[in-house]
Amino acid sequence: MRKILLTTAALALLALPSGGFAADAVATATPGKALKMVLLPKFSGNAVFDLAHNGALEAQKELKNPTDLQFLAPPASSPTGQIDIITNATTQGVNAIMISDNIGEQLAPAVKAAHDKGIKIVTWDSQIPSGANEDVFVAQVDFNETGKVMADMALKILPNGGKFAILSASPDASNQNAWIKALHELLKTDPKYSKLQEVDLVYGNDESEKSHNQALALVDKHPDLQLIMAPTTIGIVAAAKAMQDEKLCDKVKVSGLGLPSEMVAYTMNGCAPAFALWDFTNLGYLTYYAAYMLAAGDMKAEEGIKFKAGRMGEYTITKDPTRQHGLRILMGPFSVYDKSNVEAATK
Amino acid sequence: MSALSRLRSWEGLLLVLLIVIVGLNVTKTPYYLGVGNLVNLFQLSIEKIIIALTMTLIIISGEIDLSVASVMCLATCVMARLFEAGVELPLALAAALASGALAGLINGACVAYLGLPSLAVTLAGLIGYRGVGRILVEDRAIGGYPAWFDALGQQPLVGPLTFSIVAFLVLFIVTAVVLNRSFVGRIVYSMGTNLEAARFSGVRVKWAKLLLFVFSGLNAAFAGLLYAARLGSVRGDMADGFELDIITMVLLGGVSIFGGSGNLAGVGLSILVILNLRNGMGLANITGNAQTSVIGALLILSVLVPNLARLIHNQWKGREA
Repeated sequence: MRKILLTTAALALLALPSGGFAADAVATATPGKALKMVLLPKFSGNAVFDLAHNGALEAQKELKNPTDLQFLAPPASSPTGQIDIITNATTQGVNAIMISDNIGEQLAPAVKAAHDKGIKIVTWDSQIPSGANEDVFVAQVDFNETGKVMADMALKILPNGGKFAILSASPDASNQNAWIKALHELLKTDPKYSKLQEVDLVYGNDESEKSHNQALALVDKHPDLQLIMAPTTIGIVAAAKAMQDEKLCDKVKVSGLGLPSEMVAYTMNGCAPAFALWDFTNLGYLTYYAAYMLAAGDMKAEEGIKFKAGRMGEYTITKDPTRQHGLRILMGPFSVYDKSNVEAATK
Repeated sequence: MSALSRLRSWEGLLLVLLIVIVGLNVTKTPYYLGVGNLVNLFQLSIEKIIIALTMTLIIISGEIDLSVASVMCLATCVMARLFEAGVELPLALAAALASGALAGLINGACVAYLGLPSLAVTLAGLIGYRGVGRILVEDRAIGGYPAWFDALGQQPLVGPLTFSIVAFLVLFIVTAVVLNRSFVGRIVYSMGTNLEAARFSGVRVKWAKLLLFVFSGLNAAFAGLLYAARLGSVRGDMADGFELDIITMVLLGGVSIFGGSGNLAGVGLSILVILNLRNGMGLANITGNAQTSVIGALLILSVLVPNLARLIHNQWKGREA
């Protein structure tokens, strides 16, 4: 009996320091596992998702996963196609699904069915609002920072203040909604931005034509509008083109989140003096690493877990401060583009 | 009808197509034959195939209803808005069904009593009813319904079958009996074949048309509510564009767009063809635009093949004569 007690005590002593180390230890990936993984963007035909796909492929090569990555996208016209893709992936018994949620909580039942079957659910770019049945969300940037970056760009373009409107993606895009909320919060609380007055919030559904028409409608509706802020890569291009085509660039400027390759012409001609974005290739890369390591059992989706994501270095899983429930891996940071650096970024 | 001529009919062609597709699905993917998958196959399109039943009646009667997807949206938005305002869900559901019937009543009255073409009337409905829905819920998603409601679209009810699938099967049998075994069916066919003749033979054509559109609206509202139960939340873009998929199913089933001909067996087969094709392509990781293109091509063929066959047949006859 005494011996057992002693052994137990000894084991406990041994376990303590090693347990302490485990919290600080950095999980690393075991390469070469054959894992079936699906990368599901919001919809097909958007350049930023193709960049994320490239990043994920790079990670797949590094991790030597012999199973091909499936990049499956619904057409833009059928957002609930995301449900079909998740359901079919569940039937196939894949190991991990990486989702950029475009339909908010409508995705939840399909995600629950997948998660119940043991499939790892990693969201990226756009999270599941409730965080239910999601292992972790790979956030591109801190959502509050997105609000600040937009407010700062607005102030840079309108140093004396003025009226601006927001042209967003779809009403249920969780990421855009969180950014806009952060912007609203900042405008309300920080006197620095009190000169900026938001007059409207409209949705172009991430369709070029609808976004184009919405931008023109904003100008008609608010004759003294000075700035359109579009936190979506499709909306910002459509708005900039609309202002350019209608020769309104002197009056109404465009800003928001855009891809340098798509925005360079409008930044150089002054229609969109400043815009921001993060690196989507890196986002795809980091997402693949996180999903692979979760599916391979290299790490658990728990608060405080640290892991090494290849060339991008160390990351920590934390509580997601932007949601009531859910875990987050924060990528960051932002790059702000203007005339001085946009051309270099397209090379 | 002999076995051979039956095979040469449109339904025969669909049956062959279905066997080929199912054969491909079975051999190409190991996941097809699971019970879960076969349930999902129906479940992922269940709302569309429920509406395809009333759409079959409408098109055979020589009309069309383009507003069905917007009525789905309207009904779910009515339900969501009332529920959000604190109305008990059963009451909100009843109001939603009533809003669908009302939309159908407006469509039917314009077509039957004002004599306007259904294409124009229901096109206006397509725009207008969704507009009302969007005004009701604005740019929000309204969710958080009681578990029993979500379960209607998500949980098995009879064996592995959900309430939606059971509802479809019941409605399919009811529609088949009505169309083939009742005087209502004869009226529907006679209206599509020759409206004047139907009128002279004592059919109350206007009344019949009005009722058809009311049922179409009511059924669309019902399907919309099932869709809301499956998704767990309601938005203003619910079911956007569904009308085209639904009409595709009916036309591929051999129902003439000019009315008067076609039957439910054909539509049933066409539904199975499209659902199996979608499911097989999905499991083979063919998604998005590629999938849409294949189904589009199928529809073009379905219009082309019978007409070409008739043309060749007539040419042949002409040569013999």
